[in-house]
Amino acid sequence: MAGNTDTGVRTWGELLDPRSMATHQQLGLVAILALFVLPLVLPAIWAFRVAGALFFATFVMSWDFVSGYTGEISFGHGLFFGVGGYAAGMANLHLDVDPWLAVFVGVAAAGAAGLLIGFPSLRLQGPYFSLVTLVTPIILISVFRFFPDLTGGELGLVGVGTVDKFGDLLFLPSPGFSPIGAAYLALGVFLFALVVFVAVTRSDAGMVLTGIREDETAVAATGKNPAKFKLFAFVLSGLIGGLAGATYGFSAVGSFTVSELLALVISIEVIVAAILGGMGTITGAAFGGAFFYILRTVMRNIEFIGELYFLVFAVVTLLFLFFLPQGIVPAAVNRLFAGGSPGEPVTDGGSTDAMAVLRDWMDRLGGEKR
Amino acid sequence: MVDVNAVNLATNVLLLGALYSLVAIGFTLIFGVGGVLNLAHGAVLSIGAYSAVAVVRATGSVPLAAVAAAAGAGLFSLAFYKGMIRYARESPVLVLILTLVMGLVIEQVVLVAFGGQALAVPSLLAGQTEVAGQRLSNNRVFVFALSWLLIGGLFYFVNRTKTGQAILATSMSEKGAALVGIEADRVYTYTWILAGVLAGLAGLFLASFQTATPLMGRTPLLLSFSIVVIGGLGSIRGSVIGAYLISFLDQVTVTLVSTRLAGVSALVVLVLVLLIKPEGLFGRELAEH
Repeated sequence: MAGNTDTGVRTWGELLDPRSMATHQQLGLVAILALFVLPLVLPAIWAFRVAGALFFATFVMSWDFVSGYTGEISFGHGLFFGVGGYAAGMANLHLDVDPWLAVFVGVAAAGAAGLLIGFPSLRLQGPYFSLVTLVTPIILISVFRFFPDLTGGELGLVGVGTVDKFGDLLFLPSPGFSPIGAAYLALGVFLFALVVFVAVTRSDAGMVLTGIREDETAVAATGKNPAKFKLFAFVLSGLIGGLAGATYGFSAVGSFTVSELLALVISIEVIVAAILGGMGTITGAAFGGAFFYILRTVMRNIEFIGELYFLVFAVVTLLFLFFLPQGIVPAAVNRLFAGGSPGEPVTDGGSTDAMAVLRDWMDRLGGEKR
Repeated sequence: MVDVNAVNLATNVLLLGALYSLVAIGFTLIFGVGGVLNLAHGAVLSIGAYSAVAVVRATGSVPLAAVAAAAGAGLFSLAFYKGMIRYARESPVLVLILTLVMGLVIEQVVLVAFGGQALAVPSLLAGQTEVAGQRLSNNRVFVFALSWLLIGGLFYFVNRTKTGQAILATSMSEKGAALVGIEADRVYTYTWILAGVLAGLAGLFLASFQTATPLMGRTPLLLSFSIVVIGGLGSIRGSVIGAYLISFLDQVTVTLVSTRLAGVSALVVLVLVLLIKPEGLFGRELAEH
């Protein structure tokens, strides 16, 4: 990709033309098209699974956006799903807000949580910061346990009362009850997150985030404020994580419980999935998330392995970490499609097509403001 | 009633403080010297406890079980460092996740091998003693004494022996230590073994007056975070002081407020200390790794 700077700026139309894409990108498009068709042709139980997988993949992407890019590992990303989910669920349960509106409450609350978690990251780095993220959801769970009347404690909101499910929306059959509706809602949330994250990480901001991961001091030396970018990453990750958490809870696949949204296991599964797919790529995280969820569901249903699934996953992850730390998707792309060639060297250091287009648009909108 | 509670509280704090010190010292050693935040440290407690369980089942001998706890945990720790961590050391992020996943693997292996139910480990010493009008099992007194013996021995080892001083030197400056001919890899190996043995014994002790469960190491690990952060990551003396502060805080919260808050006060303290005074209350500067 580094060699494609000769034609200068390409338009959105040229950029998004499938014929001009690399093979793996075309494959990705085919996969997304397949996701549109699958819920209609598969049995209902599989529509549920697809929905669950897409929600989970969104969780994984929101983790990857912060941790894969800035290198500040969050061990408690369940906090965002939990805060988003519970805020939305409680708004519906205690204040009778319609689920479709309550989702926004959840998103706002998760965004605020992103701000709160982001601030320590400005002061703490590496393991110290990871400790804070690890501990925060555990504290929140304890707080939940302390107010069972409001939160239902360990049981989740089911323990307090009945939370409404999503009703019909335009042409979509109620995602709160219909498997097909749930699958399309999940697909919508997934695609929204995918587009936002891919756009941001492939823009200049994404370069800065990667730069922070590699060498924060160097980024600061170029006159950019790493703290600002990290905070932005946390808030955006929180917003989308919260959106996924809230919509998951109101949909037919999920509910608002500690074990589904907030537990340490969730935060860890998210990390495991992102590592399997490929950290710091978003697309790898999306693939890893969906793959992990489906494989887990299948394995749980197999007689003997069902008991062992987490052990098997933990061991597989350990091996992946050790032998293939870059993850499945980047490794496959490098070996199968790109032939392992790094591309021609270019004088300006090169830039991707998406970046060139974005830069063009920024110029049109009045230049870069940084 | 109030007096009895106070005595009970005091003995709990004394005993748990000593046990948490053992766990936290190993944790802080590995971090202070090697710069590795070992999230598998809690699971090493399970290794110790379950090695003891297995040996007791096979031989019925409690002293042998104690040896097995120390040896099993120490060997695992050694193998983990030599086989994995050593190769991944350049990437702190990778190491962090490796230790986390390794901890999970151990928990799951124990779960599969021994089942999820709580298992009893025989007391190290039978019988009861009366202290200040409160009947105490000899086991608890013995565990307390043994823990302090270990802590004392460690202080002596680190401050008075050549190897211990090499460990201290490496924790202060790896380059400086290398200049005077200390081989870093060997020092790391020592710290991993030491930390493993201490955690294995702590696991056995904890199991002997509570029970052994596959996830038994999680609470001590979480408390260790708070302890070493309060004491200053990398400081042994700070760990002991921190362990007592945290066990006091935790026991007081559990006794006076609610058992539902077990462990939470420590975590809140952890977050506050990290945000306000990240170098710890007593400790040295943040390690430079």
